[in-house]
This record gives sequence, structure tokens and C-alpha cells, in this order.
Amino acid sequence: MAKKRVTSREFMLGALVLAFIVFLSLTTGFGSTSGIFSMMLDVSPTIVGAIAMSLIIFTGNIDISAGTIMGFVGFVAAVLAKAGYPFYVFVSAGVLTGMLLAGLNGWISVTFKVPSIVVTLAMNMVHIGFYVTFLPNAGWVLNLSDSFTFLGQGRFFGIVPFIFVIAIAVAALCIWIVKYTKFGKALYAVGGNRQAAIYAGISPDRTVLTVYLVEGLLLGIAGILKATTANRLMPSVFQGREMIFIAAAVVGGVNIMGGSGKVLGAVFGAVLVYLLSITMIYLGFQDYFQFALQGIIILIAVFITVTDFAPLRKRLKKAFAPKKAT
Amino acid sequence: MPEVVLQMEGINKTFPGVRALSNMSIDLRRGEVHAVCGENGAGKSTLMKLITGVYQPDSGEIRLNGQPLKVHNPNDAYAKGIAIIFQETSLFPDLTILENIFMGHELRRPLAGIVRFLSFLDYPAMRKKAGEIFGRLGMEIDLDARVSQLSVASRQMVEIAKALSFDSSILILDEPTAALTSREVDTLFETIKKLRTHGVSMLYISHRLDEIFQIADRVTVIRDGEHVQTGDVSRVTRDQLVAWMVGRTLDNLYPKEDIEIGEVVFEARNMRQEGVINGVSLTLRRGEILGISGLAGAGRTELALLLCGLARPDSGEILVDGTRVAIRNYQDAMERGICYISEDRQKYGLVVPMTISENITMPLLARLSGFLGIINSSKEREISATYIDNLAIKTPGADFVVNNLSGGNQQKVSVAKALATEPRILILDEPTRGVDVGAKSEIHRIISSLARAGKSIIMISSDLPEIMGMSDRVMVMKNGARQGELPRSALSQEKILHMAL
Amino acid sequence: MNGTTTTDSTQSRSVPRIKFTYQAALGLLLIALIVLFGILQPVFFHLNVLFDTTSIVGEIGIMALAMTFIITTGGIDLSVGYILQLSAIVFGAVLKSSGSLALAIVFSLAAGTACGFINGIIISKTKIPPLVTTLATMNLFRGVSFIIAGTSSYAGFPAGFKLISTYLVFNAIPVQFFYFIFLFVFFNLVYSRGSLGRSLKGIGFNEGVLIFSGIRTKRILLLIYTLCGLMCAIAALIYLGRLSAAKTSMGNDLNLQVITAVVLGGTSIMGGVGSMVGTFIGVLIIGVLRKGFTLVNFSGNIFNFTLGLMLIVALIVFAVIEERKKTSGRILK
Repeated sequence: MAKKRVTSREFMLGALVLAFIVFLSLTTGFGSTSGIFSMMLDVSPTIVGAIAMSLIIFTGNIDISAGTIMGFVGFVAAVLAKAGYPFYVFVSAGVLTGMLLAGLNGWISVTFKVPSIVVTLAMNMVHIGFYVTFLPNAGWVLNLSDSFTFLGQGRFFGIVPFIFVIAIAVAALCIWIVKYTKFGKALYAVGGNRQAAIYAGISPDRTVLTVYLVEGLLLGIAGILKATTANRLMPSVFQGREMIFIAAAVVGGVNIMGGSGKVLGAVFGAVLVYLLSITMIYLGFQDYFQFALQGIIILIAVFITVTDFAPLRKRLKKAFAPKKAT
Repeated sequence: MPEVVLQMEGINKTFPGVRALSNMSIDLRRGEVHAVCGENGAGKSTLMKLITGVYQPDSGEIRLNGQPLKVHNPNDAYAKGIAIIFQETSLFPDLTILENIFMGHELRRPLAGIVRFLSFLDYPAMRKKAGEIFGRLGMEIDLDARVSQLSVASRQMVEIAKALSFDSSILILDEPTAALTSREVDTLFETIKKLRTHGVSMLYISHRLDEIFQIADRVTVIRDGEHVQTGDVSRVTRDQLVAWMVGRTLDNLYPKEDIEIGEVVFEARNMRQEGVINGVSLTLRRGEILGISGLAGAGRTELALLLCGLARPDSGEILVDGTRVAIRNYQDAMERGICYISEDRQKYGLVVPMTISENITMPLLARLSGFLGIINSSKEREISATYIDNLAIKTPGADFVVNNLSGGNQQKVSVAKALATEPRILILDEPTRGVDVGAKSEIHRIISSLARAGKSIIMISSDLPEIMGMSDRVMVMKNGARQGELPRSALSQEKILHMAL
Repeated sequence: MNGTTTTDSTQSRSVPRIKFTYQAALGLLLIALIVLFGILQPVFFHLNVLFDTTSIVGEIGIMALAMTFIITTGGIDLSVGYILQLSAIVFGAVLKSSGSLALAIVFSLAAGTACGFINGIIISKTKIPPLVTTLATMNLFRGVSFIIAGTSSYAGFPAGFKLISTYLVFNAIPVQFFYFIFLFVFFNLVYSRGSLGRSLKGIGFNEGVLIFSGIRTKRILLLIYTLCGLMCAIAALIYLGRLSAAKTSMGNDLNLQVITAVVLGGTSIMGGVGSMVGTFIGVLIIGVLRKGFTLVNFSGNIFNFTLGLMLIVALIVFAVIEERKKTSGRILK
């Protein structure tokens, strides 16, 4: 009984994803191995990023600088790789960078009680300004060798990209953490009813600070996953990615106001958003339609979540509920 | 000798301007249902807030199982085994019942052997415990249902289950039946009886005498923050309870004048709102003050909201000066000369960070502004000065922020704001709640002068002396219906309470 | 009994007193910045150069005026930059296909207003918060501007058109400054002494009470977002006059400049409190910074970076002040 209700929405999303893939395979060239392959490649960083964004959104916050954080992550990792440091060094450095930057966002928001939207909006600009100004070559790093790209370009059995497997593993881990730790519950509590969370002994400030750190970690991973697919790194590529993450989360059923939603939903959402965009490409739309698409997706999904269908429900309830005695 | 689990002795608590509790004492025995009874404002909720740590007593002692007790906050109270059943505010609507019950104190299991400090949530154990709890309560429930989908009664059950999940031995129920149907009340009582057999001690706050006689073992009556009497329910009569709740001398502080009451200016016929208001009718005459009495939850405010367009009735008619009018929103009501002054200033009355002047003239903005919407500031100053004067609002000037005024003065600003629209019919909802004694009588004076000026007033009040002192007639409500009416000559506190309870 | 009307200390006075001194400080900051840049690059002190700083404030300033209304209600409009971009693209497209300047102007204004209207409808009719709404519409408008323009950009506007932005009054002061001042006067009047301004502040503090007072808050919200769209379109025209080209990247940095100007000027991001005068000075500060940076050879990116930093600092400072205010408050008996 439990499983059925909880996964019913996710179940539908998953079914939708499957249906979409089948449909696309049958009607376009998508079904070929190259199509599926590029999907796995492109969608992996988005999956991780969407999860990161979901966690933040659960608590009722947001992070508009996620994309630029990923840019920094990529830069740091690339520079260290180029300088000859081994894999585990540049990966950890990248992840740490992510945690630092996201953690900074969270810290400012919590300490000074400034809404995260504005903090991350401003920090986004600060990030962009920073890497274009202070980083050599505006953050571009070229001619990266195999030591860097083997992760992004490698495959298991020649078919399944490493990064896809990593993304799935990360997703599974996050799903588990959110469900099976007190921290996971606290996320929903803080976003759902802050006062009640305090009554329950949860510290909203600590929870929010922690979730930004976790987001940073995940963005670090996502950044690395994306960066290692190419042999050159251009931080500007990452700019604006957060919109896709938000769209993915929202399509996946995460309530933009916080307090509910499932990580699995965000994962499916990420895939769906990807499928939608390539559908548009197949239909002949140029890829700058992406922006408009994302905008509409977000609006529709949020509308559904936020609209109070209570009057409708009330009418239904009236039809079935027992009359109140006088 | 029955064991005393909780004891409060000599408790005093004062808030600025108001003495909430005075030398209050009460004790709770193990496994008893101890009802706490008193009028609105007698001090019951303050008492509960002291026990659960929301407030700290100024003096006096609280003892738990014989040991002195200090509770710092509600969470602390839970830890010590004391739980209060809120109506709704402490649940998470988007989470499941299971998640709500254990939020903050989930049951955990350590990860495989080696990594001992890392633990994860143990759902099977939680389900088992929740199952036990609901079993004890005699209920079947879907642990995975979302709280948002539950009725108020079910949510209450979740709150109770939550309290029990802390292994609470003391449960405080604050007006638990306020929003329940009679069938749900029966279920609740069954639950309470079961809890009692399990040794849970309960404080049951209510003014519904029928229920007290049904479920409680002992009853304590509080009046004006003081302990009046405690007795066994089996040995007390209803009349005695009423007498204890009421027994005070009636000082005539209320400047009621004899005014000639005119024709009917306002009439409501058969107002109905599903589940809330059941066919209530009333008439109001020029210069008349109609008091509406009743207990909390009787539907007085709900009725008022229907009368002034803030809520839509399912059926019913409103007539102004004999003509049927359609009041679809508050704007319509204002245009008809009807205004509503709520006790909840934050929600309905005032924009607290704004100045007195800005607040008073808010409904008049359209009238006060000329070209481009520029406000005529001299006119504005004139209007606010007039009202500050007339209502004796104590402030160094009209440009002072309302936030810095005392409760009484804030209420006056609220009244001024309503008066600024020059209404003919005023609906006052608890006009002197949270107001100190001095300002209280001033507000009464204002109300009287309004009646003298030919305005018609409906006054909802839980303050019996107030309603008796001010009203020409008193209509008593109970359970969303009109229970009866008493003319001024026949008013007595006992009669009102009898109808209300 | 009479109410007393003696004067009292500033502590419990209404907010305007405190705000006034903040704007004065802001003015000092402006002067200090001018002096600073002047020292670094003495040419800065030349009147022409000084007045030139106001050339960019035309666009930012006009949008900031409308944004002040919006932020005062506790809302925000993240799509302003892209409304401008869309309006500009529409202008270019219509001009190209019809050759008529008048038509292009009309369509461009209509486009901007329509965008603002979309924002307004969603915000006033649904429960979707302004933040999310404009986050989404920002993408939408940007996307539409790309759809219309493709990858091309428009150029080659008639010479006469440029004049609206490049004409120099008294041969010195850019005409845009006058547009800005002109609009500022109206906006300020309505904001500080008009019923609209008071309603906006009320909405920012407690919309419920305003509805209860008979004020049609939803209508007001619709109005201000639509107005903002219109202002963005006007700003687009001015921007186009200056640049003589319409590109699909125009909108990217504008958001930050507009919001920073408003927040810097003392309008609280939480709503209820604000100052149009502050916005005015804030816009000038941004103009000075822009010009100053160019003169000392700082790129546009350093400018954005500095702006972002300024925004964060301003937010933090205001948040701290607000916290402090909450914990101090006397009760008058």
C-alpha cells in the first residue's frame, strides 16, 4: 500500500520517460546506439544537478548560481589535471570548490537572513565577473589530456558511459539518503512548516547550511561529469544550467515552495526535459528554443503544484462526507 | 492514595497590563481525565503554555512526579513526557502520517556492524511502533496517507499518536472537540478512555459542560486567572459549575445610555454556511447595540464574516433598510455602510509598520486623492487629527508608527479606521480583547457614543460583563445556530451561559 | 479628552526620517565616487565626461523606476532585461520588414507591454510567486526574442532615430538624462505622495489588510508589472538609439544593474519600505561606476563583478539593520 502511493507519481513519470524514448526511437533516428549514447552522456550531469537543486528546493530555497559554480568546479579540476595532478586530486579539488561556493551562498542567506533568491542572483553575477576577470583566459583551459577526459569519454563494455553509471549511482545514493536519514526528513520539515520543524527539535539554519554544502558537493560531481566529456573547458558553457535543473525538478514533481517532492522525480524530470528538447530539435526547431521551452515548462509545472485544487476537492468531499450533526 | 503526576502551586504570571494567572494551583493524578473549565480569557491557555514551556512562570512551582520541573520549550516538554495536542499547526501537510509522528525523533538502526555511528532510519520499527500506538487507540489507519488529505479529526488523532510516540505520560487537550462532528467526538472519547486505562493522565480544557460530564473524572474551574474550585465530576452539578464560572459582582463600568432605538436598518435571514452556520437570522435597529454571545467555536466570527462579505454564505439573504442587497465582497459591504472590526488586528485591521495616519485613511485613499492619485495631505491630517482626538488615541502625533502603540491604542486606531468610512452598521468582533482596563472603558464610551449618533452595532464578545453592560439585546449562539435571545431587562450571566453551553 | 501632539524623539517616528538620512549618505557616496574616479583619471572631471555618465542611465534608470514599484510590493521582476531585449528585437524585425519607423516603435512598445502584462496576469491571478514567475518568463521572453531574430541581429536604423538617444541638450547633457529626470519626477510624486505609492508599501507589508480596506491589490499588481513591461520597452528604444543595433544578448546584464540600483537606493527586498530618490541616486552611482571603470580600463565583466558584490553587501547591510530594528521598539502607553 505504501509503495504504491509514494511511487505513483514517479511511476507515471518513469512510464512517460519510457514511452517517450520508445516513441522517439520509432519515429526518428534517436533509437540508434548513437542517439541513446548521447542521451546518456548529456543527461548524466543534468541528473546530478537536478538532484542537487531539488534538495535545495525541498527546504524552500533556491540557487540560481548553480551553473556558474559548476563552471568553477570544471576550471579548478581542469587546471589541476593539466598541471599533472592525478585523478583523485583534481576530482576532490573540484568537489571541494563546489562545496565552498555553494556553502558560501547558504552561509550568507542563513546568517544575514537574506532570501536565497537574491543572494544567489547576486553571487551568480559575482561568479561570472570573477572568472572572466581574474581567471587566466577567462577560465578557458585547452588541450586537456586523457588523464582528464578518460572519465568523461570512457565507457563500460564499450557502450555505457562511465559518467552515466556514476550519475545513476549518485542518484541511487541520494534517494537513499533522503529517505533513510534524519537529515532527509529535516529538509522536508524546514520547507514544509518551519515553525513545526523547530518544535520538532530541528534547527532550520543548520539544515539549510548543510543542504547547501551537499548541493555544492553534488554540483562538484556534476561539474566534473560534464567537464571531463570534452578536452577543453569553457566555464561559460555552464552558465544558465540552473534553469534546466529547476525545470527538471519542477517537472519531476518537486514543489517549488518547498516541503515535498521526490529525488527520483527529479531524475525522471531531468530525462524528460532532455527528451523534450531533442524532440524539438527533431521537429526542426533551433536550439535556442530551449529558453522558451524551459520557461513554459517551469510555469506549467509550478502552476499545477501551486494551484489549490481545494475548491474542487471540497465539492467532491461534500458529495461523500457525512453530514455534520447540529 | 491516588498518585499525583503533575502539580502546579502558587503560579503567577503577568503580561504587560494583564494579570493572566494569580496564585494558581492545580494537580493532576495518574490516569485521570482532569477537566479545566472557565470562560474565554479566564487563563486556561496561559496555564497550558506554562506547562509546555512556551512561557515561564513569574513565580510558583511546577512539580513532575514530585520533582521540580523546568520546561524551556515545547520540545523540551515532549522530552519530559508532556505533550499538548495542537489543532493543526505542528503537522507537515505534505508528509505522511508516519513521517509526521516520528519527525525529529525517528527510530534508527546502525549500519552494518563496523560503521557503528552511522545509522539510518528504521522504517519497520517505526511502522511497528505506530501500529502499536494506533492499536492502543483502537484505530486502523493508513500510515502512508498525507496529512493534507486528512480531516481535522484525523489530524488530531495523528497529533495524539505523535504525543504517544514520545511515550508521553501527560497529555493536554485544548478544546479538542471544537472542530469535530458528534461522531468524531465519540471516537475521540473512546480514545481518551483507552488512554486512561493505559495510565496516561490528561488535562482536558473545555467549556462544553456536556462533554466534561461525559469524560472527566475531576473538574477545576478557573476564573479571571484564579483557581475557584476543584471537584469530582460525579459530585458536581451543572448549575454549580456555571455558578463557579460566573460568580463575580457586576461593576457598572459601562456607560450605557438610554437611546431611542429606531427602525430596522439591517436584517439577515437564514444565513447558512455548510458545516459552520445553520440558518441564523437577526435584525438590527438604528441606535441599537446587539450583543452576540456564545462560546469559542459557536460560529460568531464566522457569522460576522458572512454578514460583511468576507465570506460567502451558501444561502441566506441580507437586507439593508428593508432592501435585499448582494454582498459579494467586503467592498460591497463598505459601500452599503457596513464595516467589520476584527480582534485579529494583524490579519484584518492594521498595517503595523505604517503610521496611525496612514492606517486610518487607508480605506479613504480613493476619496482623498486628486490628480495622479496624489493624496491631499492637509485633508488627511485633518481626518486623522479628528479621530485621534475623538477616540483619545495616546500618541505624540499622527505620524507615529502603529507598532509602537499599546494594544489598547492600536485597537482604537483600528476603530478609527473603520469609522473613517462613515459606516452605519458596525460589526465589532471582540473589541476589547487584549486591551488594558483603562482603554477598555474608553472604547466602551466610544461605542456608546456611536450608538447615540444613530449607528447600529453588532458586538461579539466573550466578556460577559461587557456584553451585558453594553447590549440592548443579546443573541446567544451555539454550534453555529441561534440558541436564543435575551432582552436587556432579562439579562443575567447565568442565563447567557446556560444557553451557550 | 484630547490626544496629545507633542514632538518626540526620532526613535518612534515613522520610517521616513531614518530613510532620509540614508539617501543623504548615498548621495555622499556618489560624490565620493566621482571624486575617486576623478583622481584616478582627471579627465573624469570634465563636464562632458561627467554628463556622459548619464548616457547609460537612460535605460537602467527608467527600468529601475518601475522596478522600485515592484520590489516595494515584496515582489521582483527578473525578466526586465529580456523584456527589453525582446522589445528591441521586435523593433528591429518590424523595421526591417516594413521600413516604417513609426510601426516599429508601436510594435516594440506593444511587445514590451504585453510581456509585462503576462507577468502581471500570472502574478495577480495565480498563486505562483513573482520570483518563480519571472524566472520562467525570463526564459520565455529570451527564447521568443531568439525565435524572432534567429541568429541575426538588426542594424542600420535611420539616422533620425538615433537622435532620441544621442541628442545633447545645451550641447552637453545627453537627452536621456532628461527622460530619466522627467519620469523620475512623476514616479517619485506618485510613490511618495500618491495613493498608489502608499498602496504599494501596504502590499509589501501586509496585502491582506489592504484587501480588507477595500483596496484592489490584484489590480494594482497587474498594473505595476504591465507598467514595468512598458518601461522596459521605452528603455529598449533608448538603448537602440544609442547602440544602433538590436542583438540577442542585450538583456543579459541589465537585470543586475536594475536590481542593484533599486536595492542600493534603500528599497527593501522584503517590501514595504523604499525610496524612489534612493533609486535615482543608485542609478547615478551605477552610471558613474560604469563610466569610471571604462576610463580606468576595467572591462564590463569587472563591472558586473563589482555590481554583484555591491548587491550582496547592500543586502547584508539592510538585513542586519532590519534585524536590529525588530529587537528595539518601545511601546507608547
